[in-house]
Amino acid sequence: MKKFYLLVLILSNMLVISYTSAQVVSSSLMLNILSSNELNGTAGDYVTVQAQIKNISTKPQSNIVTYLSLSDNDTKLPVDLEDWSAEKGQFIGSIDPNQTFPLNWKIHFVKAGSYSLTVIAIIEGNSRPEISTITHFTVLAKKNLNPAHVLPVALGTPIVVIIFLFLIASRRKVDY
Amino acid sequence: MNNIISAKNITKSYGPQLAVDNLTLEIKEGEFFGFLGPNGAGKTTTIRMLTGILKPSKGEISLQGQSQNGNNNNAGAIGVVPESRGFYEWMTGKEYLEFFAELYNVVDVEKTVSKLLNQVGLTSRANSTIKTYSRGMKQRLGLARALVNSPKILFLDEPTLGLDPQGQEDIQKLLKNLNQQGVTIFYSSHLLTEVSDLCTRIAIINRGSLVAEGSMAELQSQMSTPGQSLKDIFLSLTKE
Amino acid sequence: MNAIKQIWLKEIKEELYTWKSMVWLVVTAFLFSFTTYLLLTNKELSLLDQTELLFLLSQIIIGVGLLIITIDASSIITSEFEKETAESLFLSPIKIKDFILGKFLASFTLWVLIFIIATPYITVSSAGSNLVLPFLGYVLFLGSLGVSAFIFLNFAISLLYRSSKNTLTTSLIVLLLLAIPAFLSSTFKNNTLGSFLGKVNPIDNIFGFLDNVLVDYHTRLIDNWQFFVPVIIFFALMLLFLIYAVRVFKRRGLIQKEL
Repeated sequence: MKKFYLLVLILSNMLVISYTSAQVVSSSLMLNILSSNELNGTAGDYVTVQAQIKNISTKPQSNIVTYLSLSDNDTKLPVDLEDWSAEKGQFIGSIDPNQTFPLNWKIHFVKAGSYSLTVIAIIEGNSRPEISTITHFTVLAKKNLNPAHVLPVALGTPIVVIIFLFLIASRRKVDY
Repeated sequence: MNNIISAKNITKSYGPQLAVDNLTLEIKEGEFFGFLGPNGAGKTTTIRMLTGILKPSKGEISLQGQSQNGNNNNAGAIGVVPESRGFYEWMTGKEYLEFFAELYNVVDVEKTVSKLLNQVGLTSRANSTIKTYSRGMKQRLGLARALVNSPKILFLDEPTLGLDPQGQEDIQKLLKNLNQQGVTIFYSSHLLTEVSDLCTRIAIINRGSLVAEGSMAELQSQMSTPGQSLKDIFLSLTKE
Repeated sequence: MNAIKQIWLKEIKEELYTWKSMVWLVVTAFLFSFTTYLLLTNKELSLLDQTELLFLLSQIIIGVGLLIITIDASSIITSEFEKETAESLFLSPIKIKDFILGKFLASFTLWVLIFIIATPYITVSSAGSNLVLPFLGYVLFLGSLGVSAFIFLNFAISLLYRSSKNTLTTSLIVLLLLAIPAFLSSTFKNNTLGSFLGKVNPIDNIFGFLDNVLVDYHTRLIDNWQFFVPVIIFFALMLLFLIYAVRVFKRRGLIQKEL
């Protein structure tokens, strides 16, 4: 009886090991964001996201599309990268085993806030995308404007308009 | 003398309603021509066709030998005091005349306007807004506007309507002067005494049709009873 | 040419001396002052990035311009009929095209004045963003196209109906029908109909153009052709409508009814 239970235990462990191995075996690409520490900036900045993709499988991988995915940590919603000028994917025709390929996206910080960034790669014919680790960064608001600078215009313009119109109207010769 | 105004068989209908029916008028240069008719007879419609504001449904109109069918090709040669008496009330009398003088490309606008204001007796109110003018003053201003381009032909549609006797007298004097200077005047009115005093020839229209035309003597000779007044002639020709 | 100039000058003088539109210009200045200052001092609004702020301001400038010009253009022609001054005017050597052009220039001048008033606000709000010239240029360019189209629409309705009340009501309805969807959230435009209306709505496209320039920094005209084309089409359609209305007006004549 002891031998039977031992056999069942060995067999079930083998099943678990083979299942998890299958999990490990299907991740054939590794994605890393290299410029994680350099992404913090101010609205209006243009920043380059540097990443790399490595083929960690034993076979060459072909027809890979990589792109960025950005989400807003405050609203918990994805961000339309077209607004940030970084919506385009990068295509890699083929990557050999152990080969590393650099990836770059120029991104325009258009809105202040806290964001999470990942790089995603999709291999043709493979339904499961590969995802990098998440990088967090902050975009600070750009403050060129000081209400005190706008105040002279806000107060002065209506006064100038009234004076100007009054001067024009008063030039007319009318007997009352 | 040449015909300065020629209207041949002009007709104007608005749908089934006939406003002017086959009217023919020939007016010679320098005439003071009276155009009489009861209310709704078609006087204003006729004037609007002659001045180019309305296009006749049928017929031909020419002024100074030039066609005048629904266009204002002769605008430079005619002056009109129309039935509609609208003014730009925010303007002063002077500004109003200056505006029209510019539209007519008058050469010396300031001099012309000053002369006209003097002619119609509005010099003292030249810089007052038209809004402050009396009815009579507006009538005189309308006449001044009609004279801004020194027209050869003057069309007047009830120019003394609503004026007091003094006002009527002033306008009549002015018109006589103009006629003596060679301006042809087409004078539409239903005030018979005025027409008989001023006009050398008279036409009477009723329900869109010409019922009589000629000098006072000629009109009297057409009647069965000789020596009738214009009032009697008018009433007998236009009675229902 | 002289007739066009005289009509234009007459209208401008009337605007000035009767304070008709001048009150609107003063109100516009106060409105821009209030909006600009609010955008910078309101706790929530001041967190917007500068480019979002500029986009909001551009929407307000163009919206106000379209509204004021629609109100002005709805009566600039019809008043001649209602005050019975049209007959005297058309008895002069003026042609209908001079009349229309002179009136158009007068209404358009009002838009130019609104833009001039907006210029200091645009300049001070764009400080440091390198967007002053694109902002000024595109607000003037797109605003002029939109305003011109609405002037054509108003003039066409004026000539057909000769009533300021009808003209104003109709053109305000058209303006509202076009403006309201443009201010709606993009959520409402997610379905097929909403998306299609968004693509053809000229006001939507004017705002889309400005968004692309001010928020996304796509400042070249060629980068915004997809927004520009519907605006041009709307402009052309309104111009054709006006030409049609002029023909109908000429056929009917100045005096529509008699006796």
